[in-house]
Formats: sequence, structure tokens, C-alpha cells
Amino acid sequence: MAVSDMLLRLRYRIVPDRLFGELLTKSWIDNVIPVLVLAVTVLVMTVLIPGYLSTGNMADLGRQVAEFGLIAIALTIVILSGGIDLSVGSVFALTVLTALVCMNVLGVPIGVALAATLGVGLVCGLLNGVLVGYLRLRAFITTLVTLVIFRAIYDIVFPKLASAIVASMPSSFLWDYIGFGNVVGIPISFLIFVAIALVVHIVLSRMRPGWRLRAVGGARRSAFNAGINVKLTVCMAYAASGVLTAMAAFLFSARLGSTGADTGIGLEIVILTAVVLGGVSLGGGRGSVGGAIIGTVLVLILSNSLIRMAVPGSLNQLILGVVLVAAVLFDVKWVKNRGKILSKVYVSPTYLALKERPRVAEDPVLAVNDRLGDAQQIGVGAVEGPEDVILDRDGNLYTGTRHGNIVRFFAPDYNTHEIFARVGGHPLGLAFTRDGDLVTCVGGMGVYRVTPDGTVHKVTDETNRSALSIIDDSRLRLPDDLDIAPDGRIFFSEATIRYEMSEWAVDALEGRGNGRLLCFDPKTGTTRTLLRGLVFPNGITVCRDGQSLLFAETWACRIMRYWFDGPNKGKRETFVDNLPGYPDNVNRASNGGYWVALLGMRTKTFDLAMRKPGFRRRMAKRIAADEWLFPNINRGCVIRMTADGTITDSYWDADGEKHPSITSMREHKGYLFLGGVSNNRIGRVRIADADPDWTAPDDYWGDAE
Amino acid sequence: MSGLITSLMRNLLGYSDTGISIPPMDNMFKPNNRLEAAKIVTRIDGLDDIAPTTDGFLCSARDALLRVSLGPDGARVEKLDRLDGAITFLAARADGELALATEKRGLRIGRPGAWRSVELPEDQARCLTAGCFLPDGSLTLCVGSVRNPASAWKRDLMQHGASGCVFSIAPDCGSVRMLADGLGFPYGIVSLEDGALAVSESWRHRVLRVETEAKSVRPAPMLSNLPAYPARIAPSAEGGYLLALFAPRRQLFEMILIEDEYRMEMMETIDPSEWVGPDLRQTDDPDQPLQQGSVRQMGILKPWAPSRSYGLVVRCDASMTPVESWHSRADGTRHGITATCERGGVVFAASKGAGELLHLSDEREGAQ
Repeated sequence: MAVSDMLLRLRYRIVPDRLFGELLTKSWIDNVIPVLVLAVTVLVMTVLIPGYLSTGNMADLGRQVAEFGLIAIALTIVILSGGIDLSVGSVFALTVLTALVCMNVLGVPIGVALAATLGVGLVCGLLNGVLVGYLRLRAFITTLVTLVIFRAIYDIVFPKLASAIVASMPSSFLWDYIGFGNVVGIPISFLIFVAIALVVHIVLSRMRPGWRLRAVGGARRSAFNAGINVKLTVCMAYAASGVLTAMAAFLFSARLGSTGADTGIGLEIVILTAVVLGGVSLGGGRGSVGGAIIGTVLVLILSNSLIRMAVPGSLNQLILGVVLVAAVLFDVKWVKNRGKILSKVYVSPTYLALKERPRVAEDPVLAVNDRLGDAQQIGVGAVEGPEDVILDRDGNLYTGTRHGNIVRFFAPDYNTHEIFARVGGHPLGLAFTRDGDLVTCVGGMGVYRVTPDGTVHKVTDETNRSALSIIDDSRLRLPDDLDIAPDGRIFFSEATIRYEMSEWAVDALEGRGNGRLLCFDPKTGTTRTLLRGLVFPNGITVCRDGQSLLFAETWACRIMRYWFDGPNKGKRETFVDNLPGYPDNVNRASNGGYWVALLGMRTKTFDLAMRKPGFRRRMAKRIAADEWLFPNINRGCVIRMTADGTITDSYWDADGEKHPSITSMREHKGYLFLGGVSNNRIGRVRIADADPDWTAPDDYWGDAE
Repeated sequence: MSGLITSLMRNLLGYSDTGISIPPMDNMFKPNNRLEAAKIVTRIDGLDDIAPTTDGFLCSARDALLRVSLGPDGARVEKLDRLDGAITFLAARADGELALATEKRGLRIGRPGAWRSVELPEDQARCLTAGCFLPDGSLTLCVGSVRNPASAWKRDLMQHGASGCVFSIAPDCGSVRMLADGLGFPYGIVSLEDGALAVSESWRHRVLRVETEAKSVRPAPMLSNLPAYPARIAPSAEGGYLLALFAPRRQLFEMILIEDEYRMEMMETIDPSEWVGPDLRQTDDPDQPLQQGSVRQMGILKPWAPSRSYGLVVRCDASMTPVESWHSRADGTRHGITATCERGGVVFAASKGAGELLHLSDEREGAQ
């Protein structure tokens, strides 16, 4: 191997390119940039302002974060619902007044004061909510109006009570504790805030009300069509906003114990800046509590530092405004282009070198022949996408179709057929259990069992999540083929964990070990991943020793043997390497060997492309998927191997029109049945030297009594 | 990593790696099945160039010069001469004088059995792709490439060939005059009404106007951005021209042409018959490359699949604007059209891919 090739291989082994695309699929990626900006800001301020990271300063910041953060969460909830709440500043002022009047003037117990404060906030929020949610007024103009109304009420009431508030001090220990208390140096108000933020975060991201809120904000009409009560959801968002703002006001009152004419003025713009900086999209539906908090901290640090650096107040406002515009601009671009970036960087090809192979035409065993040319055509047009075919003890033929059915053709002539079961997804691999149940791998769904009367039961659709995987690999995306061990364990392959069924071709372009081998144990009812990092593991067949199995790694053009029991348990070795084509299903043959379906043949140009990951990546980016270079999967064949892996026969359809690509074959009583995942028929051809009495169920489970 | 960041930023700002686009088959190039439905005049394996005569055609097919006579009971093919190698072009003058060339021995003028060799530099002589007699008796010739012989056209394309030229030879075979050079595989030539020449420049997908008199005037494109690689041009009796296009352009091919590393290794290590790139015919060979859209689905190869070969004949008006086209699409076989001609108001085309001489129907016949 050339040095450049070795370097290339090393580079693709070390640099995990694919992780970048996988990170972009995560929803928390929206928060990464605000966090980075925050880190940079803190760093800059630490350098610029001496003693910036002092405990006192941090505690002060903590209290401010608690108050501002609650309002930011309030606004986040409203913006998530697709609206906006400009009245938070006035609601804040009004509820601060309520809290102080209750504590200082009326002298009621703190619990009552809290209830009254939250009550006023709820009423203010409900007013907004009813106007926007039920009466369908525009959120912007409505909350602008309520901003003015609430502020007017405050301006009328405040002067009359101002002196009374200042005149008396409440004698509540709890009140003072909330305002000034610390637990191991952390302000108590900050702890309250953290608790509330956690609850809201869980509700928004993990519970139904949160999902509904996002749905309404993201696509109002779709949410309505999905049966969500849109009006109620919107109304409740404003109500929640009012309550959270009131909570912030309560903490603020406890800390300061007084209020002024300018309380809450301009607050909405500060909070809005914080929320947008935190990645909450003004378009609705996107954003998180975490983001809102990050934005709040960022804005507070920025404005506090500017004050400490003696920047005039007006300039301070100007800077905040510029930051807001920049954040909005970035948000718009990010939301618009994130999907585009993702689609471009997700495909991440890697280096895959296959050994040189002589031309098929020069190989006496593999040269194109026409043994499949006169195959009987079964179900032309009646089945679409028969990936796998299988026969029961009575000789009836079963196959899955892309319409989500399992179709049964009746022996002996296979001219009539019926829908045996409706599964709902495209059934790929098929296998019979000892009891005659049909077990199938269903693309995009999992492993399912069909009883002889046609009822469908789920076997498994998830496995253990691996600790270091970024994408969630606990769900089965593309279970492909399966076989059943003598003790009933189901071994199955999942071709790729990075792509859905419809995108399997993209996995070919990557050429990475994205697939895995799994085992479902009916005794425990659990599924476990046995092997990871397999290159499109496809066909599986249990060997006659009952302790090992063969599985095909399609893009690597090899068949591996894996021992799941016995003295060699856990051992994996190459069974056949450097095949002339891409192996799909592997099944037992009557002569003691195995049949292998080659779904397509290798071409030198594609082998070369597999050694050029950069070329494939650019191809995926620059040209349409239909134009991508591919292996020649218009030419497939079936090969027969001995039990030790020597290829002895090949079966071709010379003109490649009836069976261009072959993904499965089963031998039954001297005949070979052929399936193809992109074909619309099943083929049946006589094998001259086969045992005319051999059937797979007998070979697996012994003669039927 | 810096590349990743740059591309991230470009994506973020709404720019992206420019996609590769090729002109769509649209408007006058809208696909039809007329070439696939055309009548066969005769099958001639390896058919390449054709020239009309009074009673039929002269054809070149591999090393043979053939005469096809059209009679009431079908076409009759007779062999006139066998040469020392594949004939790379054929041109006929009204008085019956012929010009043809082979890779080995270069240009010959005369009649079957009485050829006069014309001395040309060897690198030009082995890639004479088209020729045309002018009214004054002089012969104009296209040299596809001076780097590669005519049969290695795929290699020339992959090398970004731009070494082709057009020159004329005086009637006495004496003086040779260069008319244009630095061309990307000129593959067809025809005399325009005003005395200038139209030359198809394959690798740049266009037809150029080449002046015969004013030497300082640079060739100017008459028709550019073709969706396929043009081959030979023939005059039409109505004053227009017939353009044969021998292979399709595909996004993947254009991409291979800018992917230097892949292309170089492909040229070094793989047989040209298995290269990714345009070709004259589809084969069933399992070693052939495939594009995803060409995968046979449910027993059918889609006609719009991105095949490596295609059949296309275009009729242009006197100003070289396309007015009509005949297609054989991905699911057809009449691919690799290398020459056309008009005889008695009927268009004939040579499909090198299928080895067939075709009689094309006229759209206006159906309209009447």
C-alpha cells in the first residue's frame, strides 16, 4: 500500500468526521454558540476588571440572575408558543408593588403575600392569554397595550402607597432570609430560581404540556390538526408568564424591600435581548430554559461590567440594542441554514480499501452464465420489493413487500397468492421458528413475529444504548436479516444506525462500519448488542454446529463467522474475503454448503472511490443523489459455497432484466427461489445437482413428525 | 479543520459549495422517443461516418468502406475497400472524389483502389475526426487532438484535451493552412452559406464559427451549452444543419473532470472501457460503473436514468439555433450517434453504439 494511502487510512481512522454531523442533529446544539459567547465574555471581563470573579460579586450576580432569569423563562415560554410578551416589565412592577403592600403595609403572613403576588401575576397573564389565545388578537399589539395599562395602574397606585411602604419594615425572618440568606455561600433566591428552572425545563422538554407548546409555536395549523387545543395552550403560556414574573417580583421585593417609579421600565427589552441571545427563536417553537438562562447571565454580565467600567447609561442601552440586533440576525440565519449544513455534513465517507480482484469474465466459476435465464417468474407485479423469500414445511412461499405486507404464494405452482399478514413496514429478513412462527426484520420498525394464523406480534424494537454514541442507538433503524439458534435465540443484523431504510444507499457511500449484530433472547425478553462497527451487516445464517453463525458485511465484500456459544464463544473470523460482489443474504444449501446472494457486482471505479473518501464527500455535496456513482447493482448473481467457504457455482441471469439484483435465495426440494429488494417478482429455478427432498425446516429443526 | 469552519461559515451565511449543473434537456431538446422509433435502413457493425451519394450512402465501419444502395426492396450493402485500420472520418465531394483517414496511415484522397496519401504531421494524421470539401475544391479537416489518436477519445476528454485544430488543404494538396487551434476535440465540420465554417467542439459542448479568410478573427460560438457532446455536422437541404451528439453530459462526469486525483488514478489503473464517463453504448458487463438513478427498479430501467450513453440528433436552422430533436433515452439502444446526413429530404443517422443506419421520421410529416 502506498504511503499516501496509509496516511489517508490513518486520517480517517483518527478524525471522527461523522461526529460533527451527528452533533448537529442534537437539539441542544442550539445552545452551544451562546455558551461559547458567554465563556468569551467572562474571560474578557476577568481580564478587564480586577477582582471580577470575587465571591461578593458572584453572589450579587446570582441574586440578579434569579430575578431576571425567572422573567426570561417566562418570556421563553411565551415565545415558544409563537407569541411575545412585552408587558413583563409592567407586570413585574405591579407584582413588586403587591408584594411590598402585603408585607410592609398590610403585614399579612408571608405565605398570603406570596399567594397574592402570584395571583396578581396570574390575572395579568390570563388577561393577555385570553386576549391573544381566545380572542385571537395579535400578541405584539396586545401586550404592548397591556404594558401601558399595567404601567398606568402602577403609576396611579404607587404614589399613594409609597410612603406607607417605606414607613414600615416587615418582621418576617423568612422574608429576610429569601432576600439576603445564603446556603454555603449561595444566595437562597438563586436556589429557588434553580429549582423552578429545573421544573420548567422538565415540563418543557420532557412532558406533554411542553411538547404541545412547542408544537403550537412551531406549526400552529399542524398542531391544531394533530388535535392540540391551540387556544388553551397559548392562553396558558401567557398565564405561566405572569406567574413566573410575579415570582421574580417576589424575590426582588424581598431583596430590596422598596420600589421606585422606574421599577420594570425597559425591562422587556433587556429580557428580550437575553432570551434571543440564548437561542430562543422569535419564530416560535425553538428554544430552551437553559438557553434563556445563558442569555440572562450574558446580558447581566455585559450590563454590570459596562456600568463598572463607567460606561454612560445611554451608551449601555445602545450596546445592548446592537447585541439584540446581532443576535436576531444570527438566529434567523441559523434557523434557516442549520438543516442545510446538516444535510451537507452528515454524510461522512471513510476510507475502505478492498483487495484487487480479477475481472469476473476471466473467472471460470464466476463468469456470466444464463442459469437463471429461464427461471419461473412468480407474482410478477403482485409483489414489490421481495427482499427475502422463505418456504414453510408445506412448500408455501412467503415474502415481504414494500407495501408492508407478507404475501404467501401457495404450493405447488405458486400461481395463487394471498396477503398473509399486514405488518406496516417493509419486511426484510424472514425465518421460521421451531413452532412454525414466521419471524421477520421490519425496516424502520424492529423484529416481529407472525403466528401461523397471520397475527403480528412485536418481538423487539430496541436494544441497550451504547455509552459513547452521540446519536441514540437504542432504537432499531434498519434491522435487516435474522436467523434462529437451536435454543430459540434470535440473532439479527442491523445494517446501519445512521440512516433510515430509504437512505440505505447513502450508507454505501460512507463505507463505514455503521451496523451491528444483535441477539434477542426469548428467555429474558431482552435484546443485546453483540458486535458493533460492522460494515452494513446483512444476511445471517446459523451454522450447522449450532454454535456459530455467518454474517455478510455487504460493502466490505466479505462474510464473517461469529461463535455465540461453545468453546470459541465470542470469536470472530473471516469466512470468505474479497468477494466479487456485495453479499446480501446467506442461507443453507442441501449439499452442506451455503448459498450467497450478491446484490451487485464490484466495479473498479467504485472500488477506487471507496479509497477516496474526500471524493465521495464532495460527490454527496455537489451532485444530486440520482447521479451518484454506485457499484453495479443492476447485475447480481447467486453463488454457492462449500462449508469451508470455497465458491463452487454461480448462477446469473445473462441479460439482467428478470433478476438484475438478487438479495435473497432459498433452496427447497431441488429448486432455488430468488428475491430482490428492488424487483417486482420472485424467481424459481431448478438446481441440477440439488437434493430433491431437502427442505430448510427439516435441516434446522429435524424431520416433522 | 479550518476548511470545515470555512465551509460551516459559508453555509451559515447561505452560501454553499456550488452544485454542479448541466443544461437540462428542455425546450427543443425535450426528450422524445423518435430516434428509438426510427426505421432501420441496415445494420452495420461499427458504423461510424456516412456520406450521401446519388443512389445511397458511403459508410465507414471499422476498416471497411461500404456502399449502401437504397432500392425498392430494401438496402443493399457492398464493400468497396478495406483499409489498414479503422477509418476515422469520411468526406465526399460532389464529383465523387473521397477523403478518408486511418489512425496508422493518415489522410487519403481519391477513389477506392486509387488513393493518394497526403503527408501530414503524424500527431495530426492519427486523429482526423471530420472533413468537408469546400466549393473551391479545397478540403477542410478537424484534428480532434494531437495528444491522442482518434480511438483514445475518452483519454483525451479526461486529460481536458484542448489540442485539436482545424486546417484546410488546397485542391492541389500542396499548401496546408491552419484555421483554428487549441480546440477541445473538434469532431464535426460543415461549410456555412457565407463561406465560413461551423465546427463542433465536443469537450466544450458547443459549435464554433471558424472563418476561412480573415485569419485574425477568433472562432466564435454559434451554439453553446449543449446537453450532450456534439459530433459531426451535416448540411440540410432547407438551409439548416443536422448535428449528431454522441454521448450525454452528466453531473457525475463533470465532477470527475474536476476531481483531478480520482481521474488521474482512474486513467492509470483502470481500463478505459470501465471508466466513469460518456460512452457510445450500454453493455451488460458487470464491471461497468453505474449511477444510483440507473438502478433497475421493479423490472424497469427509467428512461430518465443517468445513463452513460444516449442517442441525440438535432436539426438547427441556418443560424445554428436548434429547431427539432430526435432522442433515444436511457432505456433505448440507439445510442452514440456519430454522424447524420440528409438525402432527398429524409434525415439519416448512424448509431455507432447500436451499429445501425437509421431513417428518421420528420416531425412535420405527422403534423400534415
